[in-house]
Amino acid sequence: MRKAITSRGVLLFVLALMLVAILSYGVDMDVDEAEELGPVEIREYEGVDLSSINAFRENSIGGPQEIDVESYTLRITGLVANSKNYTYDEVVNKHQHYKKVVTLDCVEGWSVTILWEGLLVRDLLAEAEPLANAEVLIFHAYDGYTTSLPIDYVMDNDILMAYKMNDVTLPPERGFPFQLVAESKWGYKWIKWVTEIELSDDANYRGYWESRGYSNSADLDKSFFGD
Amino acid sequence: MVNQRLMKRTIHWLLTAVVIIYLITGFGITEYRIVERLTFGLLTKSLAHQIHIGLVIPFIILLILHIFLPPLLKYFKSKKLGNK
Repeated sequence: MRKAITSRGVLLFVLALMLVAILSYGVDMDVDEAEELGPVEIREYEGVDLSSINAFRENSIGGPQEIDVESYTLRITGLVANSKNYTYDEVVNKHQHYKKVVTLDCVEGWSVTILWEGLLVRDLLAEAEPLANAEVLIFHAYDGYTTSLPIDYVMDNDILMAYKMNDVTLPPERGFPFQLVAESKWGYKWIKWVTEIELSDDANYRGYWESRGYSNSADLDKSFFGD
Repeated sequence: MVNQRLMKRTIHWLLTAVVIIYLITGFGITEYRIVERLTFGLLTKSLAHQIHIGLVIPFIILLILHIFLPPLLKYFKSKKLGNK
């Protein structure tokens, strides 16, 4: 016997889909397991209300990465006079550090306002001495993610590579050891788990999401699709 | 009469289809790793995003039609009968 598709049947299907969606948010909760308390973060800075460091949605391409700080190196490569290899301590302790409240806007529709602390990317570049034909910085991450930014954008703006957020060292799920604070750019430019900064003359280079249809300029005041 | 019924049914089914696609593409944005695997890479995050954004206006139009068309048709029908 063949049953016709009724509107009630379709309605039940839609309700079932919604139920699955709601339940999928609650399945991780286990009242028997002790939950680890997070580090103490600040939630207000100079009159600005800050978002929690747990207010991010995890949307990285390979899930949170655990990086061993002892074996970690940050490499500056490509079109530079002096290629560099820094340990975590060298990056953090041998460079001037800065603080700045910046909002990250994700293309998914959420945003977070965080006090970022780190060093300026242009300070690192100055030590590596970029060659005159370097146009683009290609950032590589531990999970294989890449994104790029014009060298002028980094040199002309105070672009931070953060190692602290809300006065707390970046946790692994937030990009330890370093996350780029690409202010005025959509969230997919805020690369986490940075391992290498490559200087290139390829102005058409497109990173992970950019090669999948998202804008390469990623300006916040423009659509995140297209050029 | 038949045309009115057909129109209502068409809007009803189109709205249903749009709502389902809207839900699936929504998951395709936020849970893209799962959805891409389930669709064998066909529904990528960027495609889901473009479809999701593109469906906003059709969804609103269909929803308005779905809500207001039956009473409007009823009103016109009663007016027509009243004139006879």
